[in-house]
Order: sequence, then structure tokens, then C-alpha cells
Amino acid sequence: FKMASSFWKGVVGVGLFALAHAAFSAAQHRSYMRLTEKENETLPIDIVLQTLLSFVMTCYGIVHIAGEFKDMDASSELKNKTFDTLRNHPSFYLFNHRGRVLFRSPEEEISSARNQQALPNPIRLRKLEHLH
Amino acid sequence: MASVSEMYDVGWEEMRDKLRKWREDNFRNSEQIVDVGEELISEHGSKLGDDIWIIYEQVMIAALDCSRDDLALTCLQELRKQFPDSHRVKRLSGMRLEALERYDEANKHYDAILQEDPTNTAARKRKISILKAQGKSTEAIRELNEYLEQFVGDQEAWHELSELYINEHDYGKAAFCLEELMMTNPHNHLYCEQYAEVKYTQGGLENLELSRKYFAQALRLNNRNMRALFGLYMLAGRGTKENKCSVKAVEEMLESMQITMS
Repeated sequence: FKMASSFWKGVVGVGLFALAHAAFSAAQHRSYMRLTEKENETLPIDIVLQTLLSFVMTCYGIVHIAGEFKDMDASSELKNKTFDTLRNHPSFYLFNHRGRVLFRSPEEEISSARNQQALPNPIRLRKLEHLH
Repeated sequence: MASVSEMYDVGWEEMRDKLRKWREDNFRNSEQIVDVGEELISEHGSKLGDDIWIIYEQVMIAALDCSRDDLALTCLQELRKQFPDSHRVKRLSGMRLEALERYDEANKHYDAILQEDPTNTAARKRKISILKAQGKSTEAIRELNEYLEQFVGDQEAWHELSELYINEHDYGKAAFCLEELMMTNPHNHLYCEQYAEVKYTQGGLENLELSRKYFAQALRLNNRNMRALFGLYMLAGRGTKENKCSVKAVEEMLESMQITMS
């Protein structure tokens, strides 16, 4: 859904912004601590909570944008693969198969029948030629 | 004649996605590709954007399969206009020459590409295919071996070499090629199963043992692999038929036969 993905994109955006905001607040708190010389105070809890929550929100949003998950089991993806497709090597495709003749349109057939003597040997005889 | 979109009630996006699936999974259903692709290009060409070029390539190769030389030429010309100096397009025009059985011209084409770019794997593979098409299998095998010495990771080429060896009945070397493939794809049950079949064809006691193991492995990887199940069944059948007395005779016979097998 295109609508849904922009919602999750919004969630990720808000999460990242909140994370940045929390980081900025933490830095500001640190400098405040240094100024007032109260080194023993820990980060205020709202900053900690904001960091954690925004992190979770960002992760959750990214998971929804990331797309389809693949199976952990590497072999399960191949369960539906068959030799029909595995055997095809596109870089090595040959075109001297019967499709060249089978799909020929009728007009071409008539003209080729006339040039019968000019036709090269059919493919099945070609291998025998090499033996001579 | 009804158009594809009318017959199957699909929109152009579905047609495009189907073409992509066929392209990624190496389907060679050329008639369908030509029907769907031709309609997609002629009616929805403008909506496709940059996808159209790869679809032109896919449709052109399918058109060569279906003897649609007119369509192939159109696609090729469009690609030439868009990518004038591309080696990929030159390879396609070489393929067209191959389909028209003008092998010498095609060879010159590929040699020209290789002169400009000696590392171009596609042109080398097409030259090997020309040798295959002309029936010169030994030269094809030799060239492919040389290619694989340089480009060891090319899985397609290894599988092609194993097929060439099987056609020449050199099962030992075919098994070696399949071993390479199994090494790089340990989770692929189909390579295990094909290896087991080659070993079974080779025959001989050790090979049958090995064959049984690899059929079992293929089944472990995919328990729905019918051929592996059948292979296991055939091997088990052999085991139960021999009785104790003739086992030695059969073994001796197998030993003597192994002299002639590689």
C-alpha cells in the first residue's frame, strides 16, 4: 500500500527527530550540569524515556518500510525452483532450434519451398557431415 | 485477435511485473513473452519509463526464438538509437546474426567487441554458443574450459559445461562441474540431485554409493523433490534384488566395466 508506506515513513521520521531531540537535550543537560557543578546528577528520566521510545519507534517503522522478509532457511526459497528454469542459461541461448521453422509465417514457407535446393542441410544431418 | 490484457484481464503494471518475473527466473516461454511484451511496448510504451529498454532486450531475444525477425529488428533498432556504442547492444545484434545462421559475421562482431574490451564475458560466451550451434562440441568444451580458468565464479558457465560433458557422455568431468556448483550453492537441492543422477549413470559400486548419498541430501534439502525420491527408490531396488551369491559376480563385472568408464 502506498498510503501505508508513507505513514511508516512518517513514523521513522518522527522517531529520528525525537532521537535527535533527546540527544540534544542530553548534551544540554550535561553542559548545565557542568555550569552548576552538580556532577552527581544522572540524566533526567524523561530524556532517557524519550531516547528509548524514539529508538523503538524508529526500528518499528523501518521494519515496515524495509519490504518483504526472506525466510531464514536458505533452502526453502528454492523449494519451488525446477530444472525448467535452472537449466536455462541466457548467455548461452541457441537459436538453431525448431522454433525457427515452426513459427515461420505461411508466406515465408511458400517461398522457402520454392528454394528447396538452396536450403542448407537440416540440422540433424549437420553432425554427420563432420564425420566425412 | 483479442489482446493479452483483454484475455486475461490484466493491467499494464501486472504485465510488466510478469515480464520482470520471467526475466529474473530465466523463463524461456518465448511465445508468451512476445505476446505480452509486444503489447506492452506498443500500447503502454510511454508509461514504462526506463524499464522499456530492458523489456526491449527481453522481447528481442524471445522474438528470435519465435522466428519473429521483424519484431527483433524493431527492438534492436530502438536499442541502437538509444545506446549507440553499447557493447550489450552489439551483442544483441550478434545474436540476431546467429539466429539467421550467419555465423561468420556474428563471429566477426564478437571479435570486434573483444578487441575493444578483452574482459567482455558476454561476447566470449556467445562465441562458445556459436561453436555449439555449429556442432563443434569439442572446441566449445575447450573454449569453455579456458573461459572458466579465468572466470572461475561463473555458475552459468559451469552448468553449461556440465551439460556439454553429459552430451559427450563424459560423466566424470560433468560430475566435477556439478561439484563446483554444489560447493558454491550448498543449499540448492537441484544441483545435488543432478550430481546424484550423473553418478548413477556413471555406475560402479562407489558411484552408486555416492549417488544414494546425494539423492538423500537433495531430499533433505527439499522433501518435495520427486526426482530425488525416485532416484533413491531405484537405488534401493537394486540393493534388495541381489542375493548373496551373485553379489560377488556383479561386483566383479562392475570392476571390469569400470576400466572403460572414466
